[in-house]
Amino acid sequence: MAAPVHLSAPFSTGLSLKSPRPPRRIPSVSSLSAPVSAGRLLRAAVIGGGPAGASAAEALAVGGVETYLIERSPAGSKPCGGAIPLCMLDEFSLPAHLVDRRVTRMRIFSPSNLAVDFGRSLRHGEHIPMLRREVLDAFLRSRAQSRGAHLLPGLFISLEPPSSLSSGEPYLIHYTSSPAPGALAGTPSTLAVDIVVGADGANSRVARSISAGTYSSAIAFQERIRLPPEKMAHYEDLAEMYVGGDVSPDFYGWVFPKCDHVAVGTGTVSSKPEIKKYQAGIRARAWPKIAGGEVIKVEAHPIPEHPRPRRVVGRVALVGDAAGYVTKCSGEGIYFAAKSGRICGEAIARIWNDKSEGMVTEEDLKREYLRKWDREYLWMFRFLDLLESVFYGSNATKEALVELCGDDHVQRMTFESYLYKRMAVGDWRKDLGLAWRTVGTLVKAGIMGKAVERLGTSAER
Amino acid sequence: MALFSPFPTALSTLSSKPYLSAKPHFTLPTRRNLSLFVTRSSPDKGEGMVGPAAVEEQVEEKKDSPPPDLEEKKLEEGRKEKSPRDSIVAAMKVEIPKFKDPRWVGGTWDLKQFEKVGKIDWAAVIDAEARRRKWLEDYPEASSNEESIIFDTSIIPWWAWIQRFHLPEAERLNGRAAMIGFFMAYLVDSLTGLGLVDQMGNFFCKTLLFIAVVWVLLIRENEDIEKLKKILDETTLYDKQWQATWQDDLSGDSKK
Repeated sequence: MAAPVHLSAPFSTGLSLKSPRPPRRIPSVSSLSAPVSAGRLLRAAVIGGGPAGASAAEALAVGGVETYLIERSPAGSKPCGGAIPLCMLDEFSLPAHLVDRRVTRMRIFSPSNLAVDFGRSLRHGEHIPMLRREVLDAFLRSRAQSRGAHLLPGLFISLEPPSSLSSGEPYLIHYTSSPAPGALAGTPSTLAVDIVVGADGANSRVARSISAGTYSSAIAFQERIRLPPEKMAHYEDLAEMYVGGDVSPDFYGWVFPKCDHVAVGTGTVSSKPEIKKYQAGIRARAWPKIAGGEVIKVEAHPIPEHPRPRRVVGRVALVGDAAGYVTKCSGEGIYFAAKSGRICGEAIARIWNDKSEGMVTEEDLKREYLRKWDREYLWMFRFLDLLESVFYGSNATKEALVELCGDDHVQRMTFESYLYKRMAVGDWRKDLGLAWRTVGTLVKAGIMGKAVERLGTSAER
Repeated sequence: MALFSPFPTALSTLSSKPYLSAKPHFTLPTRRNLSLFVTRSSPDKGEGMVGPAAVEEQVEEKKDSPPPDLEEKKLEEGRKEKSPRDSIVAAMKVEIPKFKDPRWVGGTWDLKQFEKVGKIDWAAVIDAEARRRKWLEDYPEASSNEESIIFDTSIIPWWAWIQRFHLPEAERLNGRAAMIGFFMAYLVDSLTGLGLVDQMGNFFCKTLLFIAVVWVLLIRENEDIEKLKKILDETTLYDKQWQATWQDDLSGDSKK
């Protein structure tokens, strides 16, 4: 049980918390009768127990907040590439046994199959850890529990905001707690809390409840294929990326190794109905290396393309995929989900402990969580958006991208920013050379693209 | 747990227009005359061979699912430089034809074959590479470890690009600029009485000249105006999506 912090001055007038109004359904948690005024205990609910939710719950619990984590399928596995940046192992203290594979080689294939090896400039010890989502998620959740968060297996149904945010009334979370073993149906339950953190993923119900707005999303489609051992050996520490119009018009296809199989998939924003065609395309491109394999699972999931219009509404904050924190160009989301959950949880705990009276407000959340998040990571999201719009536009620019990837400086910069999430301060001369080379390659690629187009139109006549 | 389906059946859903080229060296086949694919240069287009080819294509599709390993070996065999007869045999087994060109050797262009009068004809290299990329757009090829593509356009010297592409365009643009410049100089002279030398000394005229130069560089066709507007929108859209959450504050609507 989290120890209550700060026995500060007892509640004075102003925004005092009244006792919660009588619930409409049978409550299954006793927080409704907990003494709220003594010790100023804040109650928070985190909806969704993935990396974002678990990190938020852990940060809240460590900060002395009474935290409830609602997760609908604790044992589920998620369709996901499973790659995390190296810094996540340190920042989130992930033990080494969670990592299935350490990828030290990446190969990127252009539309004309020009292959560039991306691992040359990795330093000793640097790698991309690959894990299974069910393993990572379970670990983060159990750690949150050990710090004091209460895990409530159940499905979030709806959220009832208080009649007015300054009235001191709580938010009511309506959820269906998971059926006990042997029972057929779960029990509808209600939870009264002061703060809600929505971490329930790309199809977030919390976001819908607070009218956070929608975002455009890409679809990621993936097949898990078990390969014969000699073919699997090829992917021992190698991950492959394929770009081209046959694989995806605005994204890339991938072959990522997992524990004992590979995940072959692709994604797209603009042509979702044709995703099967693109999946056939990536299979065809990697054919010699995956022939003879056995498809063990087929999965698909939406990926947000940009943040929702409103990420904080009242005392409800969205984190992770629910907020839309997925980078363009690479489609990376796990690290940003966990980090945003942690930053949000820490912000709430900090606001609460710094305030001697009064409830956490929407202003506080925006200032402590959103502004901090935007200041730290907006530049990275903007940069990757720029890369995507410049390099993923056509086959010609994709060729340019792959050619540029052969440059050592590009590789080093990429690894620095991906593995450590920081902008590497390099030699300005090399950066200038890189800028020049980028412009040159793009110009050449544009010329080649126009030549290819001209061939197409002249042949049709 | 489905066994892997051979990729030709999946790819048969891809539409591809009949693609004919009158260029020398090889006839690019349509999907209908695959079995008659030859590497020698031939002046006639594929249409004349449609009849018998159609029958053969149907036969081919019925037996288009050989065991994946066998197909893989045939792909590799068909890839190497072979006589036309062998490549026909290889092509019959594989529904998707591979890119073939006598100058494309071992995953890169053999520059010796492009030599004209002792010097490499870079324009021909660029054209050949463009043709190869066009081919691959229509018939994407599987990547393999054994035959990796190693051709990098950076081996083409920078002046070859300028010679092949920039100079004709530059000539056209300079011609347009000169015509417009002459006409505008005449017009301004007739309106204001300033000769050319006096016009150049005037700040307003210099500004107009600057705008004209930028305009000519950026906008070549009518579509370019739309394209520029779109690019401007796209670059700011992502930023707008991120800032949307702060719009409530700016409009003064913040609830306590």
